[in-house]
Amino acid sequence: MRFQLIVLMFLSANAFSASDKEMDELFRKYDSVMIGHKVELIDEVFTRKFLESAGGKKEFSEGVKELPKSPLKTLAAPKISWKKGLKDELWLAKRAESSDKKNGKDVPSGNQFIIVKENGKLKIDGTMSDAE
Amino acid sequence: MLTKLLTLLILLTAAPLHSQDCVNCLPGYNPAPILPVQPWPLELIPIQVPVYPRNSRASFCKRPVDMVDTIVLHHTATSSSASAQDINRMHLNEGTAADPWYMVAYSYLVGAAYPGDSRPANAVIEGRPLDIVGAHAGSNVFLPMTDTQRQIWDSGQVVCGRDGEEFSVNNTLVQNGRIKANVTTIGVSVIGNYSPRSISNPLGYNRSRPRLPSVGTIDMIARLSCQLQKKYPNMKSIKWHSQYHSTECPGTIKNVVGQIKTKAKGYGCDFN
Repeated sequence: MRFQLIVLMFLSANAFSASDKEMDELFRKYDSVMIGHKVELIDEVFTRKFLESAGGKKEFSEGVKELPKSPLKTLAAPKISWKKGLKDELWLAKRAESSDKKNGKDVPSGNQFIIVKENGKLKIDGTMSDAE
Repeated sequence: MLTKLLTLLILLTAAPLHSQDCVNCLPGYNPAPILPVQPWPLELIPIQVPVYPRNSRASFCKRPVDMVDTIVLHHTATSSSASAQDINRMHLNEGTAADPWYMVAYSYLVGAAYPGDSRPANAVIEGRPLDIVGAHAGSNVFLPMTDTQRQIWDSGQVVCGRDGEEFSVNNTLVQNGRIKANVTTIGVSVIGNYSPRSISNPLGYNRSRPRLPSVGTIDMIARLSCQLQKKYPNMKSIKWHSQYHSTECPGTIKNVVGQIKTKAKGYGCDFN
């Protein structure tokens, strides 16, 4: 009985935790979609709710294809910093890279990614601006 | 005047105010009930006042509203279907265990449909009460004080603490005679994403179809700003987030600030 309880606690702790490895894997796939245009991975990267709010999977895929495409082999590993949300089972992640060039200077987007677990896997559920 | 005001009150309380869809809600989220609009002042725009969960362990600062001279425009960078409660919930996840956030960081949220869309319904929603210092312009941004602001600061009326505890002056709010931008500004954030899609902004607009705030959104911001200035005449400026530090926020909203000021002028206000 005690053993079962320990196993149950271990399993439930894992269900609500995330590791650097999982986060790296998510953002590698994310880059594959956004930079490599591998839109077949969209369901593995984004939650259903995200895709609905982005106008649906088809519209989002078409939007992704408008972004500049790079060969995936040349991509550096994404630099991600992330933390667990204080209240809910979610994680807030930020890319170290800046997004766009403006007047020759980098302008950080200032966005955070909201990550949740869907069917046991980390997925991007939305973004949020950098209030502080 | 009184009859007009009464009629308006009856109309506003009879009509459904804002149906908050849960497309963008978190699992297990139940929308909070929508309360009647704030009775004050209805001349320009009604303001919804929801009840937000707050983190009672978080510290926050209070100020006399006369300390505020600037309205700072933001976008939430979420989808436009996010609700004010969603934003509050996300902000309650912010900070650290030792220094968590108290509640939604903005003083007002503007719920607005993108041009050409009919949903969500337009609405202005109160966020953090005006007398509570917000968290929106950047925690390391310090600004010069006006004479009025210096007088209020010197009189010890800007105080910090936690719910249920005694509040006291926190001298870290002022450095070299300059005060934290969050103390002298309020954040007005349009719910939605007005920056182009990029590697850091997957919910942005396609570059071939730039997304600007709708005419209705511009009008709501102008009405809200003017209504605030009528009650708090020290609020004389409208600025935007990227004027305070390097960020994409508020996207194309900064392109329409001139239109917002012109509209506000039409309502009898003057912003620089």
